[in-house]
Amino acid sequence: MSELKALSEAVIKGDINSATAETKKALDSGNNAQDILDEGLIAAMDEVGRRFSKGLLFVPQMLRSAKTMQECMKLLESFFQEGDITSKGKVVIGTVKGDLHDIGKNLVSMMMEGAGFSIVDLGVDVSPERFVEKVHEIAPDIVAMSALLSTTMPSMRMTIEALKQAGVRGKVKVMIGGAPVTDKYAREIGADCYGPDAGSAVTKAKEILGVS
Amino acid sequence: MESKEVPTLQPRLRVLNREQAVTIHAAALKILEKVGFKMEHAGVQEMLTKAGCKISEDGRLKLPARLVEAALDSAPKQIVLHDQSGNEAMPLVNGNYFYGTGSDATFTLDLETGQRRRVVLQDVANFARLVDGLEHIAFVMSMGNPENVPVEDIYIHVFAEMVKNTNKPIVFIADSGRDISKMHQIACQIMGGEEELRNKPFLLNYSEAISPLRFPEKIMEKLIFCAQKGIPICLPSGSNAGGGAPITLAGALALGIAENMVGLVVHQLAGKGSPFLFGPNVSTLDMKSTVVSYGCPEWSITQAALADMRDEIYGLPVWAYGGASDAKVMDAQAGAEAMFSIISSMLSRCNVIHDVGFLEYGNTSSLEMVVMANELIAMSQFFTEGIKVNQETLALEAIERVATGEPGSIFLMDDHTFEHFMKAQFLPVILDRNRYDSWKEAGATELYQRCNLEAKRILSEHQVEPKMDETIKGINRILQGG
Repeated sequence: MSELKALSEAVIKGDINSATAETKKALDSGNNAQDILDEGLIAAMDEVGRRFSKGLLFVPQMLRSAKTMQECMKLLESFFQEGDITSKGKVVIGTVKGDLHDIGKNLVSMMMEGAGFSIVDLGVDVSPERFVEKVHEIAPDIVAMSALLSTTMPSMRMTIEALKQAGVRGKVKVMIGGAPVTDKYAREIGADCYGPDAGSAVTKAKEILGVS
Repeated sequence: MESKEVPTLQPRLRVLNREQAVTIHAAALKILEKVGFKMEHAGVQEMLTKAGCKISEDGRLKLPARLVEAALDSAPKQIVLHDQSGNEAMPLVNGNYFYGTGSDATFTLDLETGQRRRVVLQDVANFARLVDGLEHIAFVMSMGNPENVPVEDIYIHVFAEMVKNTNKPIVFIADSGRDISKMHQIACQIMGGEEELRNKPFLLNYSEAISPLRFPEKIMEKLIFCAQKGIPICLPSGSNAGGGAPITLAGALALGIAENMVGLVVHQLAGKGSPFLFGPNVSTLDMKSTVVSYGCPEWSITQAALADMRDEIYGLPVWAYGGASDAKVMDAQAGAEAMFSIISSMLSRCNVIHDVGFLEYGNTSSLEMVVMANELIAMSQFFTEGIKVNQETLALEAIERVATGEPGSIFLMDDHTFEHFMKAQFLPVILDRNRYDSWKEAGATELYQRCNLEAKRILSEHQVEPKMDETIKGINRILQGG
């Protein structure tokens, strides 16, 4: 157990070398991969999330912790069967049609991934048809859309319409975000929620899926 | 006493030495030659390869330094923006500085309730009229994207609203080649024709590439349009430290400048000798909230650096920001941050300084902030003009008169004071210097309340030079798609 504490601390610090060494050590001394994941890695990321929301950590520190966790996961992967690792939810994300800005969208992706969601990132300038196609293909829990320009916000509405037309709107939750987007706009176009920033995108995603 | 005129030192801020400027410039050229950029406009890509750019296997364009040199040679070193009556209003040359508002805010502080709410078209009109009535705000931007106009034509509507409510120069946003040509039609209507507009431009387009090193098709359409029509344009990218660009300011500057140089090269190839404003926006991405800060010292020092690079290398007028804040209401933070960028941009002689009046990192506009900034600009200007030293200002005769005069002689009574006080002093209008009791009797107001009243006064009293009926009809026809 003390080994897992050291692992947690290394993940919180974002110390990739120590964290991977601790993961190996924990495996060598007979710890179960699921325990290492739950008590070492996920517990650490929960703590990172708490510290970040209190303003005690900066974004690069949080992202480094997420990267540290991913490096440790690579060592654990072979111990799990496909589908064994339960994610908090499957998210299809993209910047909407007409818009090529991706910094905000990428940040949301990384933070959601760090929080335990599995992410399929469709990139930028994603058409409503492309979102629909992906929803058919992988049946995600959430469709997340980003826009930086006022002039591309209508693509969000169009995507929601396209999901309705395809008969899959009821099967996914839709969340939107981006500089010109407001809570009111989210309600107007029938999105399930609006995330004002990357941190709250994670919180809102957990809320709408009812996971912690 | 015989005293000859002594030249006045007007304080000027420098933040880079020549070696720093040259090194950043060299890094920018290296980025273009080694890393290259993504050009998403096929016609422009062809134009660039014909001019000597090479395409790498992954489709990135590599730009040789000589193209930058040629573009810097052919771009005009001075740009004169006119007002809408055709008078010279903003000669952008050397160290001339001009302040104006910003664009694209989602919210505004309501003048009556003080509440933050979505922008509507009337707000665009109010900001334009307010600026028209303020002495130290030289140009108008929309200050918001209204929710009550069709979003596909949003920039045409705000442009029309601005020209109806101000005679001052306008910096405008467009979405693509489609709407910018409509706005150009409106502008031609005002100046009486395309040639007249070309000779006396009252407008400047603001467009943005995407950092790092990405040039979308629509943005290039606007750049080409402006180059061909002679509409001045600036093309910053979001090379904010930690966001679109590296966290360290030297690298963020080098990247932003490299992106600007791509814009300049394309622009000069499309319209040799057309006016182009230099300067990326290099603010910083806040490492907790991830907002792009509008009150940070980083943006002030990077634009001061750009002004130095203008003087050392480029010679083109520079684009900058000032008078804005990350605060959510017009509080002490808003005042402090607004003043920091106003005086530093002035002392470093940035030329076109926008975003005056923004709160909440550019997400909310405030009429009161604009009124406050107007006075802070006046205050900074007083400082920047320096201390004039001559016989009149040394006032030795006045000193002698008062010191050796009858008992009770005071400077306040002396003619010299009467003749000079209006210019010798900065005379505040909004900033309060009342004695405590009179301040209390007058309602014990805070700065925000006084700015609010002043904004209301200007909006109700100020008369904008009216446009001819024919012009307004023409604008409305264009708006209706005729």
